[in-house]
Amino acid sequence: MSSAKVKRNIGIRNETALSRHERRHSVVRSIVVLAITLICAVPLWYIVINTFKTVGDMQTNPLGLPRQWTFANYQNAFENVPIVRSLVNTAIVTVFGVFFQVLVGALAAYGMILRKSFFTTFIGMILMVAFIIPGQSTLIPLYRMESQVGLVNTLEGLIVMYLGGAVFCYFLIVGYMRSLPFELIEAARIDGAGALRIFWKIILPLIRPILTTVIVFQTMGTWNDFMTANVFISSSDLKTIVLQVYNAVGQFTTDWPSFMTITVLALLPVFVFFIFCQKWIVSGLVAGSVKG
Amino acid sequence: MEQSAEIKMVARTKRESPSDINRFEEKRFKHRKRLRGLHEDLTSFWFLLPILAIFVVLFAVPLVQTLMFSFTDFNGYSMNMHSVGMANYQQVFSDPSILQGLLFTVIYAVLQTIFVTIIAIPLAVTLNKKFFGRNFARSMFFFFSVPSLAVLGMVWKYIFSPLKSGVVNSVLSVFGIGPLPWLSNSRLAQFCVIFIAVWAQIGWHATLYLAFLQSIPSDLYEQATVDGASSKQQFVHITLPQLVPGIVTSTFLLMSGGLKVYDLPYTLTKGGPGYSTYTVTQSIIQQGIGQSQYGVGSALAVLFTIATAIVVFAQMGVANTISRRFQ
Repeated sequence: MSSAKVKRNIGIRNETALSRHERRHSVVRSIVVLAITLICAVPLWYIVINTFKTVGDMQTNPLGLPRQWTFANYQNAFENVPIVRSLVNTAIVTVFGVFFQVLVGALAAYGMILRKSFFTTFIGMILMVAFIIPGQSTLIPLYRMESQVGLVNTLEGLIVMYLGGAVFCYFLIVGYMRSLPFELIEAARIDGAGALRIFWKIILPLIRPILTTVIVFQTMGTWNDFMTANVFISSSDLKTIVLQVYNAVGQFTTDWPSFMTITVLALLPVFVFFIFCQKWIVSGLVAGSVKG
Repeated sequence: MEQSAEIKMVARTKRESPSDINRFEEKRFKHRKRLRGLHEDLTSFWFLLPILAIFVVLFAVPLVQTLMFSFTDFNGYSMNMHSVGMANYQQVFSDPSILQGLLFTVIYAVLQTIFVTIIAIPLAVTLNKKFFGRNFARSMFFFFSVPSLAVLGMVWKYIFSPLKSGVVNSVLSVFGIGPLPWLSNSRLAQFCVIFIAVWAQIGWHATLYLAFLQSIPSDLYEQATVDGASSKQQFVHITLPQLVPGIVTSTFLLMSGGLKVYDLPYTLTKGGPGYSTYTVTQSIIQQGIGQSQYGVGSALAVLFTIATAIVVFAQMGVANTISRRFQ
């Protein structure tokens, strides 16, 4: 009893000695890291704070607090730019694009682990090739192809273009699926469940962690995409939000605060989404890279 | 008891003396197994069909077309095209704007990979230690990587504005440094593009490294401390080797992403001034869709695909060798 107490006391003394040393380090670390963080965050601060200023105020005082808080920029942005329309367009494209990408990728991954044959090995190889082909290399023929069937400058056409992401989804999902015990599928099969039923009832719930990661990844990529949208969309009522921001640069060449306001409105949904999903992104980064 | 022994006996005799009936049974069994195999092949085929369709429509056919166009004078409208042999490829190598784009793309990819890596690793190591405000710093750094590079490019355009009211210039003027022509000078514009790319990506890659750091078993460090290793020695001999898979992943993403870069330089400088921040992707789009020179654009796209494949395979090879050495 007493010896345990003594030991614990020694332990505590050591701990405080260590932690005093550690604490000094931690204070220095706090100051240095937080200072660097704040310097890096200046651009974000710059965007947000200037949405509450007038043009003149922004020019004389780009980084300080507004002399007079104004909300006219937000009013102006909603009146002059079809922001809601663009957000809806982006949401449609992202939801459908990501849904089909992930579905096709998951189905393919399941088909791949169901059976190992010459055929699946071959598919695995061509998907590897597809993974390496950069989107830029196929852009010109795809543009022609879509214009022949009247899909250029439509949201459907854009969604079709995003389906190529299914290959990336497949690679992330198949790595995870291979780590599942195959006996589960065997057992369900013996119980008489069909392949599709096994997929819906057993596989999908089991791969939920990687599905979340893939969905978050692809949502980010699709929502932020500029290249494809810029090449394929030209009418203003079909523009995605990133294109709308790009458009606003030309529209508000001198009215910087209005431009910043549109940027804030464009970034806001992504930030909200990411506050909720941060956890999965980080865990998925490791899962994806360790296995893939 | 006796009965079961009898059955066993019968079974043994059956197995030991293969009769014609047995051979027939075996054949039927094999046949059934093959049928089941075929059935399974068919099931697996149905699941693979959608991705196969996507591969054919979005990858295989366009890539073959790109390859075909690259040998013709196709202009995108008239189907009356002629084979021009290697002329398009020659033009790629003689067009100064394309060469400049190629040069800047390579510089961009290499420098961004180097700088992000040497900044993100120490940052992740620091963010992995205990201090006040750690979660805030982690979230902030991660947030920089959320907005698209296209939007960031447009915002930084204002920050790097050559006017006095630009943020950087107004800060510099406090120190008596005159307004600098950030985006209108070739060298400065190139610097700006790379600077912004590094700024925007260190957070994401630090998060990646952080995740890998957290999977290093802590007893490695405890043991090293007991053995009297300094923190610098611990970093070199424990942290770095343990981070190798993380470095492989991160540099792979940076390098392949860097070669494909388009949106940041395009929204920041439109490739200018001159062609100093022109990129391969921008010239593919410009040649192919902008100027209807499908042939030249396609030739560039073919070369670009080959180059990307080489980089990807080289990196995989190097990564494999390095990881094997550390295992």
